[in-house]
Amino acid sequence: MQHYSGFELVKHGLSHHENWQRVWRNPEPRSQYDIIIVGGGGHGLATAYYLAKEHGITNVAVVEKGWLGGGNTARNTTIVRSNYLWDEAAWLYEHAMKLWEGLSQDLNYNVMFSQRGVMNLGHTLQDMRDINRRVNANRLNGIDGEVLDVKQIQEIVPLMDCSRNTRYPVLGASWQPRAGVARHDAVAWGFARAADALGVHLLQRTEVTGIRTSGGKVLGVETSRGFIGAKTVGVVTAGNSGVLAKMAGIRLPIESHPLQALVSEPMKPVLDTVVMSNHVHGYISQSDKGDLVIGAGIDGYNGYGQRGSYPTIEHTLQAIVELFPAFSRVRMNRQWGGIVDTTPDACPIISATPVGGLFFNCGWGTGGFKATPGSGNVFAATLANGKAHPLAAPFSIDRFISGKLIDEHGAAGVAH
Amino acid sequence: MSEFATIDLVPTEPVKAESPLAMCRVDVITEPKAQSAGVVVREHAFLGHLVLRGNAGDAGFVNGVEQALGVPLPLKMGPLSVDEARGVSLQWISPDEWLIIVPGGEAFAAEQRLRETLGGHFAVMNVSGGQTVLELSGPAVPEMLMKCTPYDVHPNHFPVGKGVSTTFAKTTAIIRRLDEDRWALVIRRSFADYLYRWLLDASEEFGVHVAR
Amino acid sequence: MLHIYCPHCEEYREEEEFRPKGEAHIARPQNPEETSDEEWGDYLFFRKNPRGAHHEQWYHAAGCRKFFNVTRDTVSYEILETYKVGELPTIDDTSRRAAK
Repeated sequence: MQHYSGFELVKHGLSHHENWQRVWRNPEPRSQYDIIIVGGGGHGLATAYYLAKEHGITNVAVVEKGWLGGGNTARNTTIVRSNYLWDEAAWLYEHAMKLWEGLSQDLNYNVMFSQRGVMNLGHTLQDMRDINRRVNANRLNGIDGEVLDVKQIQEIVPLMDCSRNTRYPVLGASWQPRAGVARHDAVAWGFARAADALGVHLLQRTEVTGIRTSGGKVLGVETSRGFIGAKTVGVVTAGNSGVLAKMAGIRLPIESHPLQALVSEPMKPVLDTVVMSNHVHGYISQSDKGDLVIGAGIDGYNGYGQRGSYPTIEHTLQAIVELFPAFSRVRMNRQWGGIVDTTPDACPIISATPVGGLFFNCGWGTGGFKATPGSGNVFAATLANGKAHPLAAPFSIDRFISGKLIDEHGAAGVAH
Repeated sequence: MSEFATIDLVPTEPVKAESPLAMCRVDVITEPKAQSAGVVVREHAFLGHLVLRGNAGDAGFVNGVEQALGVPLPLKMGPLSVDEARGVSLQWISPDEWLIIVPGGEAFAAEQRLRETLGGHFAVMNVSGGQTVLELSGPAVPEMLMKCTPYDVHPNHFPVGKGVSTTFAKTTAIIRRLDEDRWALVIRRSFADYLYRWLLDASEEFGVHVAR
Repeated sequence: MLHIYCPHCEEYREEEEFRPKGEAHIARPQNPEETSDEEWGDYLFFRKNPRGAHHEQWYHAAGCRKFFNVTRDTVSYEILETYKVGELPTIDDTSRRAAK
């Protein structure tokens, strides 16, 4: 792999940047791999990378029906945080956070991880009690967190209307300074490049059409480019997990919903942190390009259409304008939707299935991006060892039978 | 006559009654005269509101309601049953639910008449304190309504005498068309202050007059 | 924006008046005490989540406040039919393929 550095940049400048090596190969599929990952988004690519890097398993294919990072990886609002309430979730997301902190160096690819802090606003006394409880829980788990009063919020975000005149006055907030944003495309590309360099095959435009099993064990996947064999298959297909599960004849406790986001025209820097409000249903940050990146709640109906309904966007923009009256004249540039795979407890499923050798990593709902490296890391260990990584174990699909749910609806974000 | 403890919600002692809009402060500039206004808003406070539940498939119930109230029970969404002279209206809300509006002070009598007439499984509740009525008139009312509700208020779709329950300014309201130029909103007490201020704000551009 | 025909109001209404309420025709186990954990978990949490025709419940929150059922395509979002609770759908993916 060609190493990226300042020196290389200068060197290639001399040849007008025309001789950079291709970032990854475009190989022909082998007939048999040790492990197949279905889904070439951030989580799938991270899984492949950690399989190769930490477990020495390089005979791996990532099978993607479209292009790398073209699904929810390209459609999210890039927020990274780990301030979850329950121990199991907090440990998992904090594991991801620690990987984020060294990720650009690890991948030799600038994922533009910016720890600009994430603020979760409280608008009612109950919000504030929940915030206090969550921040306390976070600190007991070694995760940074503070409770801010209105004066402190106003110092960090002077533009926000914290007066008593708003319909839902801001009473306080939780604040995670280490949280922030990352560049979503760069995350997919960085993992892809690093995985490719370690020998992983990235098979784009290869759609899985069936999962072949025999005697309760997986043999491989049928694809639009023919059958590809592997004794271990990991499915990381987010919103389409239900479709893949159906191919394997299993059911998942998942419903796919549209989740929408939108960006504004670019503006000069006005907001250097991430502001989220569960109560009024909106969250907002400003990208390095200057666009305001705004997230909405999910649309309540099931949908695979990668689009939602306008009332949801209207609702979100009302919340944003209520918080930031100065943004009322900002024009929105683009709006889109992704398919999020939501579970009953707003926590992911990282699990073996009744089919031997077939594993699912799904159900991340609206909050998958922040977990990308952690999800890949624990799923790689799960696939390599054939049993759950300790951090992944509580997220087994069995919890929907045993009842040991990890209810993160409160902390999982605005969208559930 | 069903055996049911009933109480007249209107107190016998003189108590100052207040509409849900009594404390409402509005800072829009209003037209001094109704003639020059695009929208004229007039509250009809303290009317008697009753919610009636029952089985529309039961002829005894349907006939009993007409006998008790003097207007037929509407059996589908849309057309109101109205006796304008007596100030009585009856609106289909749901297949088993109707809204009865009678003049102020007559709710208890209407409730008792229904209880005397009807038998079997039904319910009647006095919700007079829970909602109020705003009458809207003036040439700009349909245009103003279009700003507030996704429901189609075009005359072809909303003929005189129709009443619907729908979304209004993100909350809900009943919209009624009383005649060619007059409309009415039935709004809930908890949203009354918000909706009234919304309404005046939405009407300001057309010139709004508040009739008393 | 979806335009939904309410079988009770007998009129098309805007999506904002409704709330989606998830998969329809889920039967509660007759004897919860005798139901296995697997069956109970399946009843509570596991859903069809189909890509294609989906039978789901909607609630006419701002209108007649009744639940009813909708057959809707989860990819195109086209509403294929609406019907009252207690009635059965007439359209599913099999019947749609046959109609083509």
